[in-house]
Amino acid sequence: MKVNEYYRASSLEDAYRKLQEDPKNVILAGGLWIKKIGQSVNALIDLSTLGLNKISENEKEVVVGSLVTQREFENSKVINSLYGGAIAFATREVMGVNFRNIATIGGSIMGRYPFSDVISGLLPYDVELEFYPNQVMSLEDYLGYKGKLNSILVAIHIKKEKGNGFFKKVKTTALDFPIINFGVSKVNGKYTVVVGNRPAGSIRATKAMEYINNVANPSELDYKKAAEIAASELAFMDNKDASAEYRKELTKVYVKRGLMEVNK
Amino acid sequence: MLVSFYLNDVKVTYEVKPGEYLANTLRSHGVKSVRIGCNESTCGSCTLLVEGKPVMSCSILTASIEGKHITTVEGIQEEAAKISRHFSNEGADQCGFCNVGLALVIYALKKEYKNPTDEEIKNYIVGNLCRCSGLQSQVNAIKAYLKEE
Repeated sequence: MKVNEYYRASSLEDAYRKLQEDPKNVILAGGLWIKKIGQSVNALIDLSTLGLNKISENEKEVVVGSLVTQREFENSKVINSLYGGAIAFATREVMGVNFRNIATIGGSIMGRYPFSDVISGLLPYDVELEFYPNQVMSLEDYLGYKGKLNSILVAIHIKKEKGNGFFKKVKTTALDFPIINFGVSKVNGKYTVVVGNRPAGSIRATKAMEYINNVANPSELDYKKAAEIAASELAFMDNKDASAEYRKELTKVYVKRGLMEVNK
Repeated sequence: MLVSFYLNDVKVTYEVKPGEYLANTLRSHGVKSVRIGCNESTCGSCTLLVEGKPVMSCSILTASIEGKHITTVEGIQEEAAKISRHFSNEGADQCGFCNVGLALVIYALKKEYKNPTDEEIKNYIVGNLCRCSGLQSQVNAIKAYLKEE
């Protein structure tokens, strides 16, 4: 990787100013993806002294600093207490411990990687992203945002609500990217269904959600029907890991299973 | 740029490039126990400890570890010898290329878990690939090592 300058920011204001100076200046999170793609960078902006590596909570939400590592996140008691531990479990599925001690939650989100287990793990819930300067956006809106957001992700706000969650990553070997992944939640009685790496990015299956949320007392047949709707409403494609048809069949199985699991 | 950190508790200061990775820095200063395998954040051969936590040194920038404590296998020689003995007893290694990274991960596992289950052991070492031996013999060796004290 070619880097001209390693810049240790003294404040968020300083980091933001540096970021605007040159389109090839980038914020350093874990740095794993920059290495993977061999990106040429003018200045790497290091935020590590700005206190963005903490997890805190209040009555309404859990606030995760953008530089919290995936390993810190999955081991956090607070994160494990949310939605039956489904969010923490999703992160635990990423590579090995020695990888997750480098990778950050903020880096996983900002990259909007289609294969991201972290994103599919968070998208079923009410999650907001706090950017510097002065911008708050839901995770769902950020994923749909066109273009590059030249702001700095400061924190991830996860709303604390009553509910249960499910996450499933289908992979060939332990260290593989997912063939496909699924996040399902039931929060305050409402279901949310997310499918990621189709191989396009994580997305909510809105028609399936609408169907199941309008059934008064859903049965196994209703869950099956919702899973079939998810499989038909979303676009799947072939790549070297799996065919579109296989991904569609997996969706029918795991969305149904997820809906049943979150009712337990 | 100059970067200072503690290498096995000894303060060192090296001149590095802004985009230089820790594995390359250490190897260029004679720390050849740090082995570069895939160089793609996958195989785990280059694993060492940063502030006691296992990380892939092929994928962490040297500039980012300013002031931190780095442990290589030279810093845990006594424990590494014990781990090596158990690996030998269980037939858990052959070529030995991955052993250094694995020894550091096992050492970190011991610090982090009191009585890990087989599943926890497997999850902890999954990021350290071994092409010669089998996972089960490694798990057996790790369990024997953890029981030693």
